[in-house]
Amino acid sequence: MLLVLVTAVHAEGMAQKVTLSMQEENIEKLFAEITKQTDIQFLYSNEVVRRAKPVTIQVRNADVNDVLREVTTRQNMTYRVIEGTVTVNVMVQPVKQRTEPLRPVLQEEIQVTGAVTGPDGAPLQGATINLKGTQRGTTTNEQGQFSITVPPQGTLVISYVGHLSQEVAVNGRTSLSVTLAEDAQALGEVVVTALGIERTAKSLGYSTVQVDGEQIAENRTNTTMGALQGKVSGVNITTLGTGPQGSTRIRIRGNSSFTGTNTPLIVINGVPIDNSRFGGQGLNNSDGGDGFSSINADDIESMTVLKGAAAAALYGSRAKDGVIMITTKLKGEGRGIGVDYNVNYTMDTPLDFTDFQYEYGQGERGVRPTEPFPTSGIWSFGEKIEPGMTQVLFDGVEVPYEPVRDRIRKFYNVGQNLTNSLALSNGGENGGFNLSLSNTDNKSIVPNSDFNRKTVNLGFTQTIFKKLTVQGNVNYSNEYNRNPAQVGGQEFSTPSSVLTLANTMPLDLLKEYRKDEMGNEVVYARFLPRTNPYFSVYEKFENIKRDRFIGNILLKYDFTDWLYVQGRIAQDFYVRNQDFNYPTGYAAIGPAPAGFVNGSYFMNNRRFRERNYDFLLGADREFGEFDVNLTLGGNQMYRRFDQENQSVQDFIERGLYTIMNGRVKSSNYSVSERKVNSLYGAAEVSFRDYLFVNVTARNDWFSTLAPGSRSILYPSVTGSFVFTDALGGMPEWLNFGKLRLAYAEVGDDNVDPYSNALYYQVNNNLFPNPQGSMIPVGGINTNTIPNGLLRPLRVSEMEAGVELRLFNNVLGLDVAYYHKVSRDQIVSAQISNTTGYTSQLINVGRSMNRGIETAITASPVRTGSFNWDINANLSYNTSKVLQLGLTEEDDMITVGGIRQVVGMPMGQIYEYLYLRDEQGRQVFDKNSGFPLRTAEMVNVGTNQPSYFGGITNMFNYKGITLSALVDFKLGKDYILVGGSNRNYWRHGLHKGTLPGRDVGYVIGDGVNPDGSINETRAEVQPYYESITSQNIHEPFIYNAGFWKLRQVSMGYDFTKHLPSTFWVKGIRLSLVANNVAVLKKWTENMDPEELYDFAGNSTGSGWSSLPLTRSVGFNLNVKF
Amino acid sequence: MKKYIAIALVAMATVTGCDRGFDELNTNKIDPTTLDPVFVLNRSVVDITFTSTANTQAMLCYNFPIVQQILTPFGSSLTGGNYNQLHRENATRLWNFYYPNIVKQIVDVVERTRDVPEQHNLHQFGRIWKAYVFMALTDTYGDIPYFEAGKGYSEGAMAPKYDAQEAIYADILNELDEASNALDASLAPLTSDILYGGNVAQWKRFGFSLMLRAAMRLTKVDPATAETYVQKAVAGGLMESNEDNAKNRHSSLYINWMGEQLSGREKANFYLAEPFVNHLQETDDPRLPVYAIRYVGAQNGTQQTASRATSDPDMQVGMPFGYNDVSIVETYAEKGVVSLWDYSQANQTTVVTQFAPEFFVTYAQTQLLLAEAIVRGWASGDAAETYERGVRANMEQMAEYGAGGIIEEAAIQAYLDAHPLDMANAIEQINTQYWVVSFLDGNELFANFRRSGYPELDPNPYPGSEISGDFIRRLVYPDSEYVVNNENVSEAIARQGADDLNTRVWWDKE
Repeated sequence: MLLVLVTAVHAEGMAQKVTLSMQEENIEKLFAEITKQTDIQFLYSNEVVRRAKPVTIQVRNADVNDVLREVTTRQNMTYRVIEGTVTVNVMVQPVKQRTEPLRPVLQEEIQVTGAVTGPDGAPLQGATINLKGTQRGTTTNEQGQFSITVPPQGTLVISYVGHLSQEVAVNGRTSLSVTLAEDAQALGEVVVTALGIERTAKSLGYSTVQVDGEQIAENRTNTTMGALQGKVSGVNITTLGTGPQGSTRIRIRGNSSFTGTNTPLIVINGVPIDNSRFGGQGLNNSDGGDGFSSINADDIESMTVLKGAAAAALYGSRAKDGVIMITTKLKGEGRGIGVDYNVNYTMDTPLDFTDFQYEYGQGERGVRPTEPFPTSGIWSFGEKIEPGMTQVLFDGVEVPYEPVRDRIRKFYNVGQNLTNSLALSNGGENGGFNLSLSNTDNKSIVPNSDFNRKTVNLGFTQTIFKKLTVQGNVNYSNEYNRNPAQVGGQEFSTPSSVLTLANTMPLDLLKEYRKDEMGNEVVYARFLPRTNPYFSVYEKFENIKRDRFIGNILLKYDFTDWLYVQGRIAQDFYVRNQDFNYPTGYAAIGPAPAGFVNGSYFMNNRRFRERNYDFLLGADREFGEFDVNLTLGGNQMYRRFDQENQSVQDFIERGLYTIMNGRVKSSNYSVSERKVNSLYGAAEVSFRDYLFVNVTARNDWFSTLAPGSRSILYPSVTGSFVFTDALGGMPEWLNFGKLRLAYAEVGDDNVDPYSNALYYQVNNNLFPNPQGSMIPVGGINTNTIPNGLLRPLRVSEMEAGVELRLFNNVLGLDVAYYHKVSRDQIVSAQISNTTGYTSQLINVGRSMNRGIETAITASPVRTGSFNWDINANLSYNTSKVLQLGLTEEDDMITVGGIRQVVGMPMGQIYEYLYLRDEQGRQVFDKNSGFPLRTAEMVNVGTNQPSYFGGITNMFNYKGITLSALVDFKLGKDYILVGGSNRNYWRHGLHKGTLPGRDVGYVIGDGVNPDGSINETRAEVQPYYESITSQNIHEPFIYNAGFWKLRQVSMGYDFTKHLPSTFWVKGIRLSLVANNVAVLKKWTENMDPEELYDFAGNSTGSGWSSLPLTRSVGFNLNVKF
Repeated sequence: MKKYIAIALVAMATVTGCDRGFDELNTNKIDPTTLDPVFVLNRSVVDITFTSTANTQAMLCYNFPIVQQILTPFGSSLTGGNYNQLHRENATRLWNFYYPNIVKQIVDVVERTRDVPEQHNLHQFGRIWKAYVFMALTDTYGDIPYFEAGKGYSEGAMAPKYDAQEAIYADILNELDEASNALDASLAPLTSDILYGGNVAQWKRFGFSLMLRAAMRLTKVDPATAETYVQKAVAGGLMESNEDNAKNRHSSLYINWMGEQLSGREKANFYLAEPFVNHLQETDDPRLPVYAIRYVGAQNGTQQTASRATSDPDMQVGMPFGYNDVSIVETYAEKGVVSLWDYSQANQTTVVTQFAPEFFVTYAQTQLLLAEAIVRGWASGDAAETYERGVRANMEQMAEYGAGGIIEEAAIQAYLDAHPLDMANAIEQINTQYWVVSFLDGNELFANFRRSGYPELDPNPYPGSEISGDFIRRLVYPDSEYVVNNENVSEAIARQGADDLNTRVWWDKE
């Protein structure tokens, strides 16, 4: 497929003269004639011949350079001179500059020296510098430097393969620094597509986005995927507020199903890996991270996002939500061992968005604590704070009754992340390797919590006997997550207690009095599940250790230059050991029986193995103007998950958390296995390299489904038409244009193994009958009704797109429209619990997602020393539930508290609101004076944004790069129900709870149910608490949209200042910042992205997540 | 080329054709697809008091304060009968706990043993226990899914209809009648049941005693049916001693959750109510020291230590109704306490330890109901003697709470001598005694108080009360039913009345 569109000419021939006389001749004839007259050799491709217009030329004794310039310019082609050899590179792009008449050099010329770098600041070797309007030119050396003699008012044209050419006015300067932007549509650009098959970008009939590894590594976020936030159209990323190495929620083109995982498949080096999230267990609510936790950002060569079904069709069942493909470094460039050292350091500062009331302090029902051991530690319904007042806390310590304003800064630390990576690499014609070692140390903002990861990554490739290539990748990671942040829920979750603490609670005192001399938690609030946060972080422990190997080895045999076969074995294997305690002495549990102390200890050991065997047979042949590419393959995926749990309750020796030391012991063991067998094939036919048609088919067989319904075929067909190549007469300002069209079907079994039958479970412990014999106890072990007749869900997607490059490549536009229908979804739908179950597994309904993705690149300013580039993307996604259930009456299901309603967008949120009469007046209970609620839950919005995207501005001034990313999520009905605000309300922290405090009662503004004006005086604290007992959410429904300054980075490459003989080959330093500022939000007291929820689609309820952090740091890269 | 195609075909065949074990892969190798129903019956018995805080919180926040035995002055998540306010979560805990955890298992037992000759007795056990479970549900909520409940998997009943309580009680009585009579002692004994160890005679007495309870429930609404079934129950044979009590015997592996809650998380929050303590004091009831403990002079929860503890009846002070945790300050001087933590509590060394048994149906309760039936003329016998047997049995039963629960014979006799059944006020006296006897049996306390109207209690005077009558008459349906079973719940509301705390259930006729 790849055409090397290069013609080479001997430099010595440059001075030669030719005489030509041609009328409407083929360009090949011209080349042949020049060769005959001058010995200059031409290398050109079919492409050149196909695209060339007939040549008419009449010259006598003309300079060969002039001839070539003239001809290629007319032909919309370019050529290039490299070192002693003149290399002419023929681009299938119009060249803008018009031929100026040759004229004698009159001005005094000056010597200009300069350097050419790529967008990343790395020097470009072999870039050509031409004096505009002349044949004069030179190329850059290894350091990207050049020197040329030109008129002071001349203009230089700088070009380099794969980059956009740039014109620079000399303006009398003798030193220039030029940065070339990459040209994503450059002819040679290769995109890694499904199964690791490489394709030229222009042949693709669907939307893909490739992100350079260095972009990810330079300004990195705690979670590798966080780095993509706001950068890729159609991709909606949310980093959960669960601390360092927590998990990331990724949605490509919206949720494709009502439930289950809507996360994309993660593929490393062509092979899928496990991306399981590890959430909470019992009272232990930490986020144990996801599959990305094992990857070191420095090892990533590139990431490709396959957004649509068509792009991912070859992954079949696992690709319904798109694919994120990570390619790690395989080998180095250049002979000898290259050494690359990278250090990345960032500091995480917690951000405080709270705006609490500080007029009334700790206490309940208007009374401040004045006796020892008060239990109002999480209520701010006390007295009006006046200077000189005191309060009595804990065992009688008297302290001033004054506001404690910055609880977040006081409790949470500044987190620190340090990653050191060292890579050794080597590369030659027949192979090479890349070996990297890295160490990441991460100190969380939560006290006493940190994370360490060590990785070893080896990539290698070697060609043996010319036809046989062996290639492999092994990634080993050793992760140790010590005391990961507890989030969500109550008990040990520091955000839920820190953020509801009374507003006059001194934190140093809370820390000092976290436990008594016995080691038991000192009760500070009668609501015991709000564990003292200092007790939580210093007495509760959790260790998560994971050893993980991800590797694959591939053998490829080239039968001929057009036919190959390859086989691959890949495995993702890890062992994950976790243990944690409920500390002895925490207040919310009862005492142990005599002779024991209370508390619990849990061990959870998991083994995971996913093995993929696959083979691929590929053929690529040209038949005249057609090029045919066939691929056939098969894959067998086997996954096994073993889990062992042991737990004990109450201990013999205090402080010794072991299984042996426990009183009540229980253990269980589970295994889950699944297999998917697949066969697939793809055929691509291209015509004249401007029309491409690609057809794929994949059949999957699932072990999790019944034999009758487990086989499914997924077809796809895509087309790409480069109309600027195909059609003549294009306007000059249109440099490149392509149309894409695609249709594909994919699907998923989307169900856990063993969901087809009802299983029982025997309890861990026996129960004595009246005679004292120990008798088993057991029962049905699920609250979900199984279904033995499930079919795979199916997603069919149509996609159309256009790519344009305009105005000499200054403006680029990529627009995609997609329409995606999911049907036969496998849903665990909520049902009446009177059935004995809380949900049922059913194949239900159809839903539709459709949207537009736009990516714009622009280069508004492009001078030699200053360049400004803009990368913007905007995605619009909307969805609609088309059908649910079997009959028309089934127009609603509830999954995870979120409703799906026929005719409405997916993910509707319903809440109880205040009851109002026909005149809109709020209704209050006549007896209690409390607000009444609506009879039924009312639709208040959706948890899905309609618009999201980002704008990156990149500036380059003499090699200093500055980039800033602003991202946003918006939507008219995009809402968030602020669960945390409801607690601030109920605990008296919210400013909305101030009315009535001065007089000691609240009279709700409205009417009683009988229509009379409400005059009932309700006591202040119960009035504000009643909203919780009535489950009313009205005051806490916020627009969830935001605008954020997400990333800012500044970098400089010092390489060009290094002597070429110096042992250090390159230095690049970047200063980076993440989550820099919230430009616009609508939520009170919280960041709209404060979510802890691990589950599939149920975003939209903020409660108890860690504060958002701003990280600032640097990245230093040194090459030896 | 042909060679390559051949290679490809061979490779494909290897992947798909020869994949042995593909069908078997989706079989769970750890959990069984079936389990002896008796173990499932055991679970439905054990879980009814074990497993979670949900059940205990329901009792603590509604049932106990409604019958004025235990209350908390605190609001927020503990709101309920103490303030006579609706707290949805607390009001629906019983429902949300029973249906998916108890109903599912017991319906499975009954359905899987139906028409299985070897499981004949087990099937009857299951029917009796199922009747017990549904009585608690319908007594609390009124019309509920009954006939179609718990059959989501077995019969695909995804949106069960709500049945009228009248129909539910008719079926419960019929089921108890059929099942108790069908029990066959001649069959091979089944010892692996944890309630009675397979003792068919005891199961029978449990079944008929439960039938007596169900029959008496109808005294206000359908005396004729009540009488019929009282007679059937007496004829079938009631419990004969404390040996026959149906109860959960807790162990270190299956603890008493009420004990766990009241000695742990909720230790400092719940107190014995003044009407209950006063009654026991006024009657010199020897059960008072078993039921009550007070941490004299405690200024806060932390000071509720063993060194301050006393169960001396004269030292007990019940917490009055009508106050919250702040306004209760007004009561300290009058009641002679220093703080709210100084009021009496349920005794954490006897009745609410982690190992204390929890009673479902007792001989004492049965004798008291029988005494009432005799007074009403529905059964023959000596009401006074029957009443005495009930009271004595209950006092003897206290020994099951450990050494602190043992009541000397002399004390029992003295109490009985001092409080013989007064035939002029027999119904009131029996039911007031029933109130004392049933301490901690939340469902039965709430139901019998509404049925009999006794004990005579003053309405809770809390100023922020939300109810329109004197007492809470039922609890409300869960929000989730409005979401996923709206049609059926709406139908039930149309039939029964508003879904609030005021609507009376069918047998609770005014």
